[in-house]
This record gives sequence, structure tokens and C-alpha cells, in this order.
Amino acid sequence: MTNDNKSVKNQLDLKELFLKREVWVIFIILVLLTLLFNRSGVNILLTIFIDFAVFAIITMSLNLETGYTGIPQFGRVAAVIIGAFAVGAIPGRIIAMFMGLPYGAEYASDSVNFRLVPEINQLLASSWLISLGFLVFSLLIAAICGAGIGWLISRPAIRLKEGYLGISLLAFGDFFMWVGHNWKGMVGGSVPVSVPDPFRIFAGDRFMVIVLVIFVIAFLVFIYLQKLTRSPFGRSLRMIRDNDLSAGAAGKNIVSVRTQSLVIGSAIAALGGGLYVLYVGSMASIGFTKLTFTFWPWAFMMLGGIGSNLGVLLGVFLLTILRTMIVIFRSQWFGFLLTIGIDPLWLEFTLMGAVIIIVILFMPHGLVPEKVEPMLPKSRVKQIIERRQLARGESSTS
Amino acid sequence: MLEVNNLNSGYGKLQILYDLSIEAPGKGITVIVGPNGAGKTTLLSTVMGVAKYMSGDILFEDMPIQGKLTHELAKKGISYVPQMGNVFAELSVMDNLSMAGYLMPKEESKIKADQMTEIFPVLKKFIHRDAGTLSGGERRMLAIAMGLMKNPKLMLLDELSTDLAPIIAEKVMMEIARLRDELGITILMVEQMAKRALEIGDTAYLMVSGEIRYSGKASDLLHEPELCSMYLGIKTDSDQIADLTKPSIEGSD
Amino acid sequence: MAPWMASGLIYSSGLALTAGSITLLYIVTRTFNFAVASMATFGFYIAYTGISLYGGLPYQYYPLVFIFGSFLGIVCYFGLNRHLLRRQAAEITLMMSTLGYDLLLLSFIQMYADFLTHTYGLFPRRVTLNVHDFELFGERAAAIILPIVTILLLTLLHFFLTRTRFGVAMRATIENPVLSGASGINSDLVYMVSWVIAGGMASVGGAFMAMAMTGTPTMGMFTIPLMFAGAILGGLTSLYGGILGGFMIGMTEYAGIFYLSQQLGPWVLGYRMGIPLMLMAATLLLFPRGLAGIPLAKLINSLVGKKRGESA
Ligand SMILES: Nc1ncnc2c1ncn2[C@@H]1O[C@H](COP(=O)(O)OP(=O)(O)O)[C@@H](O)[C@H]1O
Ligand SMILES: [Mg+2]
Repeated sequence: MTNDNKSVKNQLDLKELFLKREVWVIFIILVLLTLLFNRSGVNILLTIFIDFAVFAIITMSLNLETGYTGIPQFGRVAAVIIGAFAVGAIPGRIIAMFMGLPYGAEYASDSVNFRLVPEINQLLASSWLISLGFLVFSLLIAAICGAGIGWLISRPAIRLKEGYLGISLLAFGDFFMWVGHNWKGMVGGSVPVSVPDPFRIFAGDRFMVIVLVIFVIAFLVFIYLQKLTRSPFGRSLRMIRDNDLSAGAAGKNIVSVRTQSLVIGSAIAALGGGLYVLYVGSMASIGFTKLTFTFWPWAFMMLGGIGSNLGVLLGVFLLTILRTMIVIFRSQWFGFLLTIGIDPLWLEFTLMGAVIIIVILFMPHGLVPEKVEPMLPKSRVKQIIERRQLARGESSTS
Repeated sequence: MLEVNNLNSGYGKLQILYDLSIEAPGKGITVIVGPNGAGKTTLLSTVMGVAKYMSGDILFEDMPIQGKLTHELAKKGISYVPQMGNVFAELSVMDNLSMAGYLMPKEESKIKADQMTEIFPVLKKFIHRDAGTLSGGERRMLAIAMGLMKNPKLMLLDELSTDLAPIIAEKVMMEIARLRDELGITILMVEQMAKRALEIGDTAYLMVSGEIRYSGKASDLLHEPELCSMYLGIKTDSDQIADLTKPSIEGSD
Repeated sequence: MAPWMASGLIYSSGLALTAGSITLLYIVTRTFNFAVASMATFGFYIAYTGISLYGGLPYQYYPLVFIFGSFLGIVCYFGLNRHLLRRQAAEITLMMSTLGYDLLLLSFIQMYADFLTHTYGLFPRRVTLNVHDFELFGERAAAIILPIVTILLLTLLHFFLTRTRFGVAMRATIENPVLSGASGINSDLVYMVSWVIAGGMASVGGAFMAMAMTGTPTMGMFTIPLMFAGAILGGLTSLYGGILGGFMIGMTEYAGIFYLSQQLGPWVLGYRMGIPLMLMAATLLLFPRGLAGIPLAKLINSLVGKKRGESA
């Protein structure tokens, strides 16, 4: 009995610690933000916010697949780039078609594109209805294409296990990346192509509005995922992650549940990719590498805590700030590298690698460990444990 | 020789053994019997550093060995014949024997291997075959040979007689008794052939659900009709058994 | 020899070694080693540094490349892999840890390239190493030497694994770590040696591949899916399978793209890496365990009428 009390108390202590840790991380984030604000003004904050929101969406999608379902998604970049493509290639073409402008393969050739897009932009800037329609349609088409690619990739891959699956996803991710870098007719291949800008209508406040919109969308995704992972579907995800044998025995269709998770995750990731393109205003497929859109999200997720949406958000925020700080303070802090000709920007990779290694070795559950929600209510679990211990005590004295 | 005090162990988060204490006196045979799933294998593999040690003491020659790696224990002179996976299926019989003699100089290992093939002629016949292609009984013999190769101070044997034809099982039991009597090897064995094992054994433990239900002289356990019939499937008149059992061996160091 | 074939042989030899390296580590430690990417790139940069600063042929630096790769392997083992293996970490954790290591190495490679530019005035970011090659029997020497070196290395490894006591102990540990521990084999040592060999193979493989492709700081990161594809195609159960898988992936890529570019035009060149990946996807669909899933031995044995287990 005393033992039991002790363990309950321990749990409480731990809980307080986690709580403290979250508060602690948020405190650090705020301090760093103030520091950056003092040095570089409000624009740097807005950049950080946008990066945060875009990567939050992508990392949350990764967390759904990896953290909750146990699929080692090493090909996140595929869905992101498809979303970016969809937004870069489809909505602009449709408007061009209605405006009687060229919309075939020539739409994506830079000589045509740089005259076309300003015309479309003018139209968008003239009506908020068209702008809004364009935005909504873009995001919709991104999500649909993402879902499609998620399904397509899942076909050969989903029955594989652990490492095999991870490697196959990595390979397919790269494959779509190469297609993106090479398919000129779609959105210019390796040549950057402009994308119509639905935020043009806000003129000077464009930046602010984008931050707001992306934040709202990230927040909606967060709420949706929280709901999803707490629903019965979320429970089957975790059941499959923790033990697919018993989940199979419990009548869960493992392949179908995993496929659904991949499809939903890819759709969300594509949404992130699409938003990113709208924000940048151009589509340069060269910028979509697995380093940025697969490995960084992994580092974010691992730091934050695999399987915890809140943790993921904190992880993304903290690391995004640190990344930005390397850029801003590169000559100030790392001047010694410059003297032997080394660009301190490479430290970004060092940071990414070090975070992954440190998290794995020293804090495998990340900043905010996943809270394990018991299948039975707590009081009932306690009852069962007590009864068992009683029985054990009796049997050993007899 | 080997002393286990208040051992808690298991696999991952799953605890199998609770505060378990046993002692295997030197130069004697200690038999552990009990129903399937009692945790006998878990006990041996915890001693050997395979299953997860949680708390308690494991002393070998009065030195604590808990938390030591398996190969370090092998170097200290503990030989372990696991219940499952006790031969290298993808290596030839020859390579299996030479791996068993890994800690010895090469020549000594060769001489020992030759001795083993003399004790178990079957092995000689199949010396170049992969161990995975041997029959269950042949494999068991190879496993025993591998355990014997090592010149151990202490042998941990997990269900050696399973899969063996009765005559060969009997031979194995005699061989184990000989190891004690002639070579003075300490033996801790888990056995399904409970009756025969208790006959040759000195000390015995009955283990049920991760706990010890009986400890004492091996011959005396056979006089506990209730325990015997309930857990060991032995149904005998206790007077008959008295004739069968050997006179007990004097105590340990 | 047609040019595509010469390049293909060179490239495939390199890919074979890297795929073999992945397979070896996987069967010994259950670790899918992402860091082969940067180990391979580092291998190329060691050879490049040697040639640029001290001249000579690429081949003479291969021993040094192997040693450096082994060093990278040992660092990964003692810094990371050992702790995780002791903790019985999940396969994915093991894989992630090597990704972290790979990213560290990648940043060091980039810095090293900057350093070479700054200090020695070299141009290390786009290197064609094959200009340092010579001609042998009217062919590019590398197309003859590298496949031979690969086969030689494989034979050496085979000899090591079957004829030496430690090699057999390695195989024993792969099959049954518990029993090998009980036999007194130090599994730590086995894991370390496998990292030494695998690290060396990966680096030499990278130096090979740079004889057929442009050497860049991201060449490893770029080709890692193909290295994995080779290992998967090989079935991840035997070293020889991995090496064969890597070689097949490389050759299919070169032969396939040569054929397709003749049929369809040069635009397909951009998608060249799609071909080996298709091959991998198809294999996975048909045989989820790779080439090893094809009961080849059974087929052959049944043809020859031989019983399983009888050794030649
Ligand atoms: N590797 C393992 N992982 C988890 N549980 C195990 C493992 N091996 C055995 N067990 C469990 O431990 C208990 C005791 O098993 P074991 O020690 O093999 O019993 P015995 O050898 O007495 O038959 C059983 O309930 C079994 O299911
Ligand atoms: Mg057992």
C-alpha cells in the first residue's frame, strides 16, 4: 500500500516537472524573441512566425504519421513539394485560362511566366472575392494532391516494417523531389517561377496578413489533430503503433488505418507546402530538399516530443528561433570560422544533427513527453492494482 | 558458489521474478523444477546477463556479478546452455564447437572438440553439416557438447533432456552426475524430467509463478506428494521413492 | 566498351560497396546507417585532397580512404550506436541516430570544402575526379580496376568471415547474440569491427562513385536512396546480396537511362534515378523481403537435386 502511494506521488511530481519544463521552454522562447526583436526589429519576428507556422503544420503532419501511427516517414518532402507544385501549377493556370492567356506548358516557361503572373495579380488585387476564392482553391487543391500522393506512396510501402518502410519512404520522397526538379512543363523545373499572389490586395499589410492567415490555419490543423488523435481513430493509431499484433487481433485493419494516416498526414503536409509557396510568391523546386522538409521536421518533432502535438509546436518554435539566430549572429558569434573561410551558415546542419543526437541520447521523450492516456479510468486501474497486490500478499504468506 | 538474493527481473517493463532467492552450493547439482511459465528460464538468463536485471544480488564465488555482460561471465567460468537457440544454426557443427572453445587457445579447443566428438559420435558424422539441419536430439547433443567444451566452474543447463529419446536422456543425466562427481563442476539445472533430475540432484527448488514454493534437499521434494502431483505430475508412493533416491551428498563450501 | 558501360561499371562498383556496407551493419547491429551518405562523400574528399595536394592517381589514396571511413565508423559506434544497442533501442531510433550523425558529418564536409577553397585555392564543390585516370587496354582504367578491387574486397571479406576465428565469431553473433556471449565472444568487439569494415567500405565506395559522377559535398546525400535501394534489393540478409543489389541498381540505372534516352530523347536524363527506384518498388511489391525473398537457393537445389544443408 505504501508503495502504491509512493508511486502515485512520484507521478504527480513528474507531472509538475513536465509542466515546469513546458513553462520553462516558453520562457526561453520569449527571452530569445525579445533579444531578436531588440536587435533586428519586428520583421525578423514576422519571419520567425511564418517559418514557425509553416513548419508547425508540416511537423504536426509528420507527428501524426510517425508519432501516433509509428510510420517512419522519411519522405515528408514528397507531400510538401506536391502541395507546392499544385499551388504553383494549377490555380494560376485556371485563371489564365479564363483570362484568355496561355495556360499550357508555356505557362511555366520563365519568359512567359514573368509577364503572365503580374496580369493575374492585377485581377486578384482588384477583387477580394477572387483573391479569397483563389486562396481557398489553392489550399484545397494542395491538400487533395497531397492526399493523392500519400495514397500512391502507401501502395508499395505500407506493408513493410520499420526500417524497410522508412527507407522506401525516403526513396519515394526523393523520387518526387527529382520529378519536381526536372519537370519543366509543370512549374519550371529547376527554374524559379512566379506564383499569383492572393494577398496582393492588402498591399503594405501583406506580410502581416499572411502571418495571420498561416497562423490561423496552423491553429486549425492543431485543433483538428488534437481531436483526431483523441478520437477512436486516434486510439487505433496508437494501438497499431504500440503493438500491431494485438491491434490486428483486436480486429483493426492495420493496412487501412495506416494508409488513412498517411493520406491525412500527406494532405496536411501538402497544405503546408502550398502555403509556403503562396508566402514566398514563387515556386523554386530547388529549394524543396529533404534536408529542409524532411530532416528538419524530424529534428523539430524529436526535440518537442514524439507523439505530443503541443511538444511539437514548442520544438518547432525553439529550433526555428535558433536557426534564425545562427543566420543573424553569424559574423558576430562565429567570426573565427570566417577567418579560415568557413561560412557559419553550415552550422545549421550541425545544429540539426546535434539536436537529433542529443535528444536520442539524453532525452528520448523530448521536451514534452507524450501523455499516455489510459484505456480505463484511473480510479479503476488503481482498484485493480490494489486487488492484485492484496492477492499477492495473501498467497505469499500462506 | 552461486547465490541469488531477492532478485527481481523480467523483460522490458514486464517483471517475471519477484524477490527470488536461491543458492547453488559448490560441487553439487541444484535442480530447479516447476510448471511451464514459472520463470525458470528467466532466472538462468538473468544470471547470465540476458534477461533484464532489476534489483537484488547475484553472487558468484562471493563476488557480485549482476549487471555484468554475458561474455564477461563466460570468461569467469560460467557456461550456459540455453533452452532455445542453443546452437548456431547457420554454422557447421565444427564451427559451433570451435566457437564454444572461443576463449581457449586454438589447439586446446581442437583437442576438446575431438573429445566431444568421441563422447557424441553423431557429431563426428555430421561435422561439416550446418547445425540447423540436425534433428532436435542431435542439436541438443551438440548444445551439451558446446557447454562441456568450456571447462566451466559452473554450468547453467536449461531443460537439456527435452527433445531427447528416453535412453539418450538417461545418458545425459548420467553424464551430468559424472561432471559433478569426477570433475567437481557445480551445476544449476532446470529440468522437465523432474523425477530423474531430483534423483541425481542434491538441492532442489520448486518454482511457481516467479516465486519459490519449496527449497531443500532434492530427495525430500519427492516426498512432498502434494507438491509433486500438483506441479510436477509425479504420482508416487513416498516409500517407493525413498528406495530410489541416492543417499544425500554432504553440504557445500 | 561503350562509354555508358564503362561509367556504369565504375559507378556500380561504388554503389555495390556502399550497399554492402549498409547490409553488413544492418545484419550485425540492426542499424540502417544513414551516415553512409556522408561517409561516402568524405571518402571522395580524402581522395580529392590527396590528388590535389600531393598529385598521383586516385587509386593510391584508397587505403587512406578506407582508414578514414573506418575512423568515422568507430566514432559513430562509440559515440552513439553502442549506447543505443545496450539500451535495446528500436530500429527507428537506431536509424535516426545515424541520421543525426550524418547531418553533423555533412556540415563538417561543407566546412571542409570552404576550408579547402580558402586555404589552398581549390574548387572542391564540383569535381570531376576521372580526369586523373589513365587508359588501360584502350579503356578507362577505373572501369577495369574498380570492379576488380570490389571483387577482391568481397573475396577478402568472405575469407575473413568463413576462415578466421573472429570472422566466424562475427557470424555467430549475428545469428545468436545470446549464445555467442555465453561462448565468451565480446559482442562489443564484433559490433565495432563491423563498423570499421562498413565505414571503410562506405568511404571507398564514395571514392569509387566520384570517378563516374561529379563529386560534390552533397553527392552522398543525393545518392543515399540508391544505396538503400541496393541494400533492399539485396534483401538485407546477406552481405553478398547487398553487394549484388547495389551493383544491379547501378547497372540498371546506366543501362536503362542509356536505352531510354535513345528511345525518348535526352529529357529523360533528369529522371535517371527513377529507374532504379522503380526496380526497388517493383521488387518490394513482388517480394517484400527483397531478392533474398526469392527462393533462389531452393530453386537451384531442386534443379540440381541437392538436399538442403549439404555443403559443397
Ligand atoms: N523474451 C520474453 N519477453 C517477454 N516475456 C517473456 C519472454 N520470455 C519469457 N517470457 C515470459 O516470462 C514468463 C516466464 O517464462 P520462462 O522463464 O520461459 O518460464 P519457464 O522457463 O519456467 O517455462 C512467461 O510468462 C513468459 O511468457
Ligand atoms: Mg523454460
